[in-house]
Amino acid sequence: MTSSYAVSTTNSTAAILLEGVSKTYKHFRLENINLRIEPGTVNGLIGPNGAGKSTTMRIMMGLVNPDSGNVSVLGQPISSHEAQVKQHIGFFSDDMRLYKSETIAWHLQLVRSFFPSWDDQYAKQLLDRFGLIAGQKVKGLSHGQRVKAMLLLILARHPKLLILDEPTNGLDPVAKQEVLSELMQIVNDESRTILYSSHNTHDVEQISDTITFIDRGRVIASNDRDEFLNQWRRFKIHADTDWQTPAIEGLYLESTFGKLRVFTLDRYSIEVESQLEASGATLETSEALTLEEIFIAAVARGRKENCE
Amino acid sequence: MNPQAIQILFFKDLFLSRWALFGYLIGGLLSALVTCLPGQTFGFIGFILIVTVTIAAGIHLIGMLLLSEPIEMTRTFIMSLPVSLLDYSIAKISVVLVAFLIPWVGMLACLTVLTFIVPGAKAGVLVLIVLLFMFMMGGFSLQLVTAVITQSVGWTIVMVVLGNVLFNLFAKFVNEHPVIAEIAKGDSIAWPPVVLQILAVEAIVVIAAIAFAFVWQSRRRDLV
Repeated sequence: MTSSYAVSTTNSTAAILLEGVSKTYKHFRLENINLRIEPGTVNGLIGPNGAGKSTTMRIMMGLVNPDSGNVSVLGQPISSHEAQVKQHIGFFSDDMRLYKSETIAWHLQLVRSFFPSWDDQYAKQLLDRFGLIAGQKVKGLSHGQRVKAMLLLILARHPKLLILDEPTNGLDPVAKQEVLSELMQIVNDESRTILYSSHNTHDVEQISDTITFIDRGRVIASNDRDEFLNQWRRFKIHADTDWQTPAIEGLYLESTFGKLRVFTLDRYSIEVESQLEASGATLETSEALTLEEIFIAAVARGRKENCE
Repeated sequence: MNPQAIQILFFKDLFLSRWALFGYLIGGLLSALVTCLPGQTFGFIGFILIVTVTIAAGIHLIGMLLLSEPIEMTRTFIMSLPVSLLDYSIAKISVVLVAFLIPWVGMLACLTVLTFIVPGAKAGVLVLIVLLFMFMMGGFSLQLVTAVITQSVGWTIVMVVLGNVLFNLFAKFVNEHPVIAEIAKGDSIAWPPVVLQILAVEAIVVIAAIAFAFVWQSRRRDLV
């Protein structure tokens, strides 16, 4: 199946544009990814562990070369303009480490030497806000402090594009909220584009405008967050065993318990409820789904369609 | 290619290896002092210690600067900076090479000076020392290219073991070679064709291995 989703359809230069991107490893394949991320938007990339989020982000950063397809970031092909493009990207990955033997101050100095846009004042503010000590060696930092130090190194250079791969993974609730609060402040700057991956829908939901679901190396759904929440519904229906499901686009049978059937729908309109009742069924409930429920339903659908 | 980025990465790694380099220089100096003690045995022990320190420096620097980055996951951090794969490759191989040259040159210089100042030392032994040091440089270059290609601690250790075995065989060969042995026992330094031929082969191995390491690393498609 080809997964093709345009997060937005404006004609401006996309912050990130992936066209037909594939990458094959021994036990994993990223399959024909088409994705367009518009400038100034906050985008969540949600997928279970091993779905391909990190590989996709590494391809965007030029750290991994795709086997096929085109990748353009901030209007430039990443393969030929890797260093220039990275001048404007702040990348965080959960498996990225700083040098244990050196201090935060040493890292600040190192990163500063690469970026003319480095903001000393903001770096100091972030040090205070995150409760970090510049003279402290990285080997003495907790996981939360390490994540904050990494974010500090990224944010103080004022990147146009932030690519954050599971930044809140493994953080305690307080540290997680501190990191999310800082990201929310950045979100207010409408010139910035953020791509944020997580398997935790709650974190992504807090800050994202648009959301993309990825599973088993394929993009299975991508939409505006509110559109997702408005368009997905779960219906519980009572119907005779010989009842024929009406042809409604996007209607998917989740489960059956005797005469009770549970459907999910990804293209909701009020007419659908009338259509269901007109078909001879009794509509018991029609409920909106949380983003997590939408994610689970989308993954289940995607896997079933893939098997078929 | 971004020379400024290469320079920053180069000095970053040189800074990170400062304590190791300092330790190897001190170790080399202490070994050199052993060679100054009276008696041939101390001269031999001192030389063995110097060779050991030089070989150990090479292994340690390759491990610390090249192989540990993917293991300790610092490479992703560096590659998230405005650095291309080519910049990274040039900086990385250059710094490993230069870092090794520091103790290598230091110890070769130290032995050269000692050859002239230690009473009873024969100046001709310097030819033997140069041949052995060039062999160590060749061994180091092969370890470097193995580490670059395989990114594997295991395969690099295999190359280290192989290099050490070959070093002993080479030391025996040059020590027993009639022309070279004759020069080593003399008070004057001479560079007959056989010595120059061996040095040329060693230089070719060094240059070929390092060039191959550069080409391989810069053609790599995925670094993390």
